[in-house]
Amino acid sequence: MNAALLEVRGLKVGFPTPDGLVRASDTVDLELYHREILGLIGETGSGKTVLGMAILRLLQPNTVIEGEIRYRGRDLLSLPEDEMRKVRGREIGVVLQNSGTSLNPVYTVGDQIAEAATLHQGLKGSEARHRAVELLDAVRIPDPAVMAREYPHRFSGGMRERALIAMALACSPSLLIADEPTKGLDAVTKREIIDLFAEVNRDRSVLFITHDIEAAATLATRVAVMYAGEIVEIGAAGEVLSDPAHPYTRGLLASLPERGMRPIPGSAPSLITPPPGCRFSPRCATKDCKSEHPGLVEVGPGHYARCMLYDRG
Amino acid sequence: MNGVYIIKRLFTSVAAFCISVTIMFILLRLMPGDYITMYLETIYRYAPPDVVEAFNHVYGLDRPILEQYVLYLLDAFRGNWGYSLIYKVPVLTVIGEKLVWTMVILVPATALATLAGIGIGAYSGWKRGSKTDIALLNGMIFIRAIPSYWLALMILIIFAYYLNLFPLGGYVDTGALITGIDPLDVANHAVLPILTLFLFSVTGTYYLMRSSMLMTAGEDYIVTARAKGLDELTILRKHALKNAMLPMVTMITLECAGMITGSIFVETIFSWPGLGMLTYKALAVRDLPLLQGILLVDTLLVIAANIAADLIYPLVDPRVQVGDNG
Amino acid sequence: MAKRTVLAASIGIILAYCAVALLAPVIAPYDPHAITGAPLCPPDPEHLLGTNDLAQDIFSRLIWGTRATLLLGFIGAAVTVVIGTAVGIVSGYYGGMVDEAVMRLIDVAMTIPIFPLLLILTTFFRPGIYITAVLMGLLGSFQGVRVIRSQVLSLAVADFVTGTKALGAGDGYIMARHILPNVLPLAGVKFVISAQHFMLIGIGLGFLGIGDPSVVDWGQMINRASQNGAMILGLWWWLIPPGLAVTLISLALAWLGYACEDEINPRLRLMRV
Repeated sequence: MNAALLEVRGLKVGFPTPDGLVRASDTVDLELYHREILGLIGETGSGKTVLGMAILRLLQPNTVIEGEIRYRGRDLLSLPEDEMRKVRGREIGVVLQNSGTSLNPVYTVGDQIAEAATLHQGLKGSEARHRAVELLDAVRIPDPAVMAREYPHRFSGGMRERALIAMALACSPSLLIADEPTKGLDAVTKREIIDLFAEVNRDRSVLFITHDIEAAATLATRVAVMYAGEIVEIGAAGEVLSDPAHPYTRGLLASLPERGMRPIPGSAPSLITPPPGCRFSPRCATKDCKSEHPGLVEVGPGHYARCMLYDRG
Repeated sequence: MNGVYIIKRLFTSVAAFCISVTIMFILLRLMPGDYITMYLETIYRYAPPDVVEAFNHVYGLDRPILEQYVLYLLDAFRGNWGYSLIYKVPVLTVIGEKLVWTMVILVPATALATLAGIGIGAYSGWKRGSKTDIALLNGMIFIRAIPSYWLALMILIIFAYYLNLFPLGGYVDTGALITGIDPLDVANHAVLPILTLFLFSVTGTYYLMRSSMLMTAGEDYIVTARAKGLDELTILRKHALKNAMLPMVTMITLECAGMITGSIFVETIFSWPGLGMLTYKALAVRDLPLLQGILLVDTLLVIAANIAADLIYPLVDPRVQVGDNG
Repeated sequence: MAKRTVLAASIGIILAYCAVALLAPVIAPYDPHAITGAPLCPPDPEHLLGTNDLAQDIFSRLIWGTRATLLLGFIGAAVTVVIGTAVGIVSGYYGGMVDEAVMRLIDVAMTIPIFPLLLILTTFFRPGIYITAVLMGLLGSFQGVRVIRSQVLSLAVADFVTGTKALGAGDGYIMARHILPNVLPLAGVKFVISAQHFMLIGIGLGFLGIGDPSVVDWGQMINRASQNGAMILGLWWWLIPPGLAVTLISLALAWLGYACEDEINPRLRLMRV
């Protein structure tokens, strides 16, 4: 493989609260290569969304961010704000979670899609509108010319998701970050959205954030598993999901409905004062590692896991 | 159009009007002594019983109370609101004349206050927690806490009395008796009343707009706009402002009732010959027919503001059809 | 923190006003109605704020006026909050026809401009200060019902209420034990805001010349001063002190109300009109 398109190094994200700093992401390392889909999976609150938002610097201004996020070699964290704006939407597109509230209710869907094209590609009124219709057509919105003139409240959940994807693709970015794009959709619509991402992926890399393991298994080239702000396992999708190395990943797979639906006992630890040793140890059935904090260790070719079972020194 | 909503609005409006009329009807019946006797006594010093009876018959006051009430209500709807005791002319005529003068100060004050309140409130809410925001918020809370009558007096003392920049009161100079009413002269007299009403109103609009903007700034579609690469000013102007203004449409109609209150004090202090000043005069001499008329007109103003909001709302919010905002 | 200082100052001012109101007979050097010397005296050691046209001591009147102000504000607010909370809870909890009827009634009531109505009722009945306060509270309670009801609506479907219902608890019990404690903070904020509002209105009535003539209130003092040319004659000690006194307590209550509102829920919006 060639040089990574996106390289995250030692990323720490903290939210100051009256009770202390919430470490939503703790020393995360990640690469995303050209034309690959990286599935980022984990429970709610594991730091997946924060990671996605940190890449585009869309977190609240008082957030404490450390580390490096290199996109095509440039560190996004040290870019001036006006340079960063040129990256957003043009180089990196994002499909936010909550498609229901992510579209502005007082503008037509077409106008909102056209806005990005106008901004970055300098398209004028009718050109931009034409481009919006084209994009809606590309994401399989029926009757796109008519739907472009409709307001978001007339769109169904699946159509809003498509509209958001169209908006993110408006300037053909090289990287698409999609946050829970299949959340709350029925099985058929979900299938269609997954197919759409497979198509989208032909021209670009995708960071696919989801807690839907099935979707990740279908789409992803590689998979990264997050737990309590850390990446606990990362590797080729087939390998990680069929032969998981980390007890947490195993637990996650065992909790799937088709595999017996056995939930992992206990709940995720506090992100203000995480357990000193392995963060998963309070819930881990395999090994009790309260004192030592494991590092990411290679357990197979390109397959890493953060577990004392493998970390021997 | 939502039929149920229109019926509700119609019912509310008619009921409010009827209740205002009914309160006045009861008050007039509760007046100590006999209305006609008292009236005749004030004019002729004595009231012969046969004359009183004749008048009672002419005015229908000898009919059953329920019939009187129905007639009274019907008259109120017909615009037959009786005669003012002090002006000796139909109440509606007096009010119509004074209402124009009230509008001369109320319309510009409300328009300016709405614009300024929305603009400053939006900025303050967008920059929440910043020094500018805190300073603006504190300043507005401060002005809001000053009683409107005291604010009016202070403005009068400072700008008219000590600085001598504007006239002390009234709506025209005495010269107008000879030369006729000069619009510039009126404008000069209107500056301070408008300023006072403006200050009184702008704080309320500001406060509501700021709260609304606080809500809007946290919405997901604002993040979407940012993710597109738009700059902050465009996001504020294009994406946040329009959404934050939606609740304002209904709020501003509530401010309307507040402005009626404000104008009573402001007009009294600046001797501005509008509805507020008329209220003060009518209170002083207990001119009940006139007070009734004022109450009815104030009620109609609030009803009109509500209907205006009903009509404007669907124009600004594509999700709402006329009458959906309950 | 500057915010804490302001809050402490507000509470201090309110408590100080309460103390002055309670101790008025002790603090005030003269009977507020007594003729104490020459009329229209400028301030001197005998009369700290001079005398008015009736030769009454302005400083003593100012002190006694605190009582009227606090009575108008606090009684009015108490009436508004008690009615608003009771009706708001019942309406929001039962919902359905009860709620519909209450809401329609409030729609109608809020279409009638309350202040002109209050003026007319006051002019007509010439009520004493207590009745005036209660009347203001009654007329203002419609808005209180709205504010409380909207919070009860969300509480009525909250899990803990459903849970208690499932245990077979009666409606009265649920409303008193589970819903009331949850709306109390909001009712408290409403009390502070209403108190400020009613003080301004009550004093405004005095200013318009329809206050209770048997009590000393700042509105009547301002009215008398401005009617008798205090401004033109430059008698600032007659005109200014009552206005400053009402502005100060109004500010303190506004600050307190704002701080409390911020405290109980930063996203909550009370309509301040």
